[in-house]
Amino acid sequence: MMVLGFTGGALGGHLGGWRHPDSFPTTSMQLQCMVEMAQIAERGTLDMMFLADGNGVRQMDKPALFAANSPSDRPAVFEPVTLFAALSQHTRHIGFVATATTTYEEPFTIARKFASLDHLSGGRAGWNLVTTQYVEDAKNFGRDEHMGRVDRYERARESLDVVRALWDSWATDAFLQDKSTGQYLDPARVRLTNHRGTHFAVKGPLNVARTPQGQPVVFMAGQSDAGKELAAYGGEALFGTASDKAEAQKEYADIKGRMAKYGRPPNALRIMPALSVFVGRTAAEADALFAELQALISPALAVSYLSKVVGFDVTGAPLDGPMPQARGESLGGTAIGRSVLDMAAREGLSVRATYQRVLPSMSGNMVKGDPTHVADMMEDWYKSKACDGFMLSMPVEPRSLRDFVELVVPELQRRGLRSPEYRGPTLRDNMGLAHPVDPFLESL
Amino acid sequence: MMNLVTIPNLVGGHLGGWRHRDAFAKPVMNLEAFIEMTQIAERGKLDAVFLADGNGVRDMDRPALFAANHPSARPAFFEPTTLLSAVAMVAKRIGVVATATSTYEEPYTIARKFASMDHISKGRAGWNLVTASNPGDALNFGRAEHMGREDRYARAQEFYEVVAALWDSWAPDAFAQDKATGQYLDPARVRPIDHRGAHFTVKGPLNISPTPQGRPVVFMAGQSGPGMELAARYADALFGAGTTKQDCIDAYADIKGRMARYGRAPDTLKILPGVSTFVGRTTAEAEELYEELQSLISPPLGVHYLSKMLVHDLEGLPLDGPLPTDMAPETLGGSSLRRYIIDMARRDSLTIRQTYERTLPALGGPVFKGSPTQVADEMEDWWRSKAGDGFTIMAPVQPRGLRDFVNLVVPELQRRGIFRKEYETTTLRGHLGLPDPPSQWHPEQASGERGVA
Repeated sequence: MMVLGFTGGALGGHLGGWRHPDSFPTTSMQLQCMVEMAQIAERGTLDMMFLADGNGVRQMDKPALFAANSPSDRPAVFEPVTLFAALSQHTRHIGFVATATTTYEEPFTIARKFASLDHLSGGRAGWNLVTTQYVEDAKNFGRDEHMGRVDRYERARESLDVVRALWDSWATDAFLQDKSTGQYLDPARVRLTNHRGTHFAVKGPLNVARTPQGQPVVFMAGQSDAGKELAAYGGEALFGTASDKAEAQKEYADIKGRMAKYGRPPNALRIMPALSVFVGRTAAEADALFAELQALISPALAVSYLSKVVGFDVTGAPLDGPMPQARGESLGGTAIGRSVLDMAAREGLSVRATYQRVLPSMSGNMVKGDPTHVADMMEDWYKSKACDGFMLSMPVEPRSLRDFVELVVPELQRRGLRSPEYRGPTLRDNMGLAHPVDPFLESL
Repeated sequence: MMNLVTIPNLVGGHLGGWRHRDAFAKPVMNLEAFIEMTQIAERGKLDAVFLADGNGVRDMDRPALFAANHPSARPAFFEPTTLLSAVAMVAKRIGVVATATSTYEEPYTIARKFASMDHISKGRAGWNLVTASNPGDALNFGRAEHMGREDRYARAQEFYEVVAALWDSWAPDAFAQDKATGQYLDPARVRPIDHRGAHFTVKGPLNISPTPQGRPVVFMAGQSGPGMELAARYADALFGAGTTKQDCIDAYADIKGRMARYGRAPDTLKILPGVSTFVGRTTAEAEELYEELQSLISPPLGVHYLSKMLVHDLEGLPLDGPLPTDMAPETLGGSSLRRYIIDMARRDSLTIRQTYERTLPALGGPVFKGSPTQVADEMEDWWRSKAGDGFTIMAPVQPRGLRDFVNLVVPELQRRGIFRKEYETTTLRGHLGLPDPPSQWHPEQASGERGVA
């Protein structure tokens, strides 16, 4: 079954999305927007709502872009784990995937909040493990220097190991709560973590009981080689960034191929490329939405945005001249930035042509058309082993999510690519992932 | 009006509470039970529910006590900011106060999650700032050594200042979200905090807009000298601890007396001593509950528990003999509670058995026991005597204890006109009668010292 999630930013995925007449009237810290999106998605039996995250206010050095706000800047949003805890009380089935960085947070704190969310939601929690690459975020944590990529990934892997060991602290049946004997818990059914590594020393155990899923689902966004390796080692879902089907197939085979050496079957990891969807009842309606959104962005704002995405200033370059290329790799450079530059070089794009491609979907994949066309593209990728599903990005919220749920989901269900109902109570059930075995039971 | 908050501990406040027939059948990770408790408290128009917290599993070196569980052990519980964010969706009026330590978390992270909770609850969030005092928790954060008290409080003060500044990052009108012009926010209405101190370097601004309360309500539990000083300077509310009315009166006068030097009016800090209530429809019913609970504790378990409280092993000593005289006067990680218990035992010449029997029902804190009139009399007396601005209510068996308090005592307090009959405001700050916090964005305060009330 195809796995489907969506990125739950109330702002929408297009730079002009929040200005469109069909967008939410206001989005800044609006709980009701988040509740509404979660409920629309649940009506469409989507597997999960996902929130990216960061620990800083960005683009303050680019006032025009800062003032216009962009979908990936998030100057004022809820802390995602508290938000999802709240949304869990407004929904019954949909999974919640929150981002938390191993660069600035302690494994004990991460293990605890996701275990808590898993209990609060009855087994619907996922952790998107990221390593933070923004220099500005570092300055909110007393670090003037940002960690290099290798350090970040070593730390991430160790953090993942510790978090998983903490989640395995207690046996499922550790808490007897026997009023007659007075035995509340069985001291033989809990174990210390006793981790001493390069980056962390954590004694454990975790002060949360084993969760409904055993362990929350671990998501990653590995685009660098180190990131791919980490995903093969321990990821259960991966946000791919391949910009076309052939590249996605190659990436799919590459990452799944790396799993065997860690003793993992290929289906223990779900690869979900980002996909921006512009859907209408007809192709013309989809084209109209697309054009409306592109028209909301002035060239000056678009170039400013493009500069942010690629990680260097292109504001002086002629709009219709070739897209400049970066020299060397910058520490803060992202996989998305590199992929945009690759696309521009490969296709010989001008600055204007590059931003026109970037605005609707960053450099990621985009599909535009009527429901059949959208479903065709999704089915093709899925059946061609380019992916196991998609992480949907919706240009205008809540319109685009509602359109997807009303127009595309029924078509996917009709084709047998999506189940007509949720398959089980947990996020794992709905993603078709196995529940981790309780190590206390395994040893019996 | 009196202020009332409660600690909805699902295992109750008495060591034997979870075993009582009227206790929740399965308290571990029981969200429904916690929601039920919060709704009972809201029915009673209480100001807030409050959650204590720690970052570790304790007492593993005392298997008998570990297996029996005790009210402050919390071997398996929700992380409080996530739990209370969920609960705020179900209970719509009551305040929600979570504990978080300044010892193991970063100011940016704390500022963020409490600001998020304040938005989620539409202005009902509180942060109980603690300096972690449990040495074992340090081992979950890569620190072999626990910080000393002075270090912890110096760090806590700076921590608070950073968090308060982060909460004031944005002007209330910063987010125009004007679809016509394309201006989402006004870059002139946000500032970095650029903090550089002994413990933290934080540039800011916070990535959350100003919260409904301006800033969440800050609780503290300062009982030591440095703790009281910090509370006098910055706290909005304080969980007092004192075994007797006189202790509480002295602490109240002391802390409120310290506030003037920080330019604060005494009523901008609410002091809420913790009390355990054993209420019955009659005195006899309250006594019966008390005896039932005491009888659930075997002497070995009582001794284990007291050993833990006193950080001193009492096993093997005669039950009916005195407490040893060679206990260390102060230990790192030892709490003010420990000192209270030792002082109580010495003052009243208690045996080991008598000491644990007195400690079991309320951890050595005050107990209000009796009919609704008797309990209300005591509360009113303490309140009028300036032992507190209200109370932090704990009950021995849950949900019975809280339900009895709300059904029996609250109406009596309302009848006397000393507690609200309905919520009159929508925010926790409003419930507590606290003023709006200062802000750099208020014109009259633009030149004032940021973060100082």
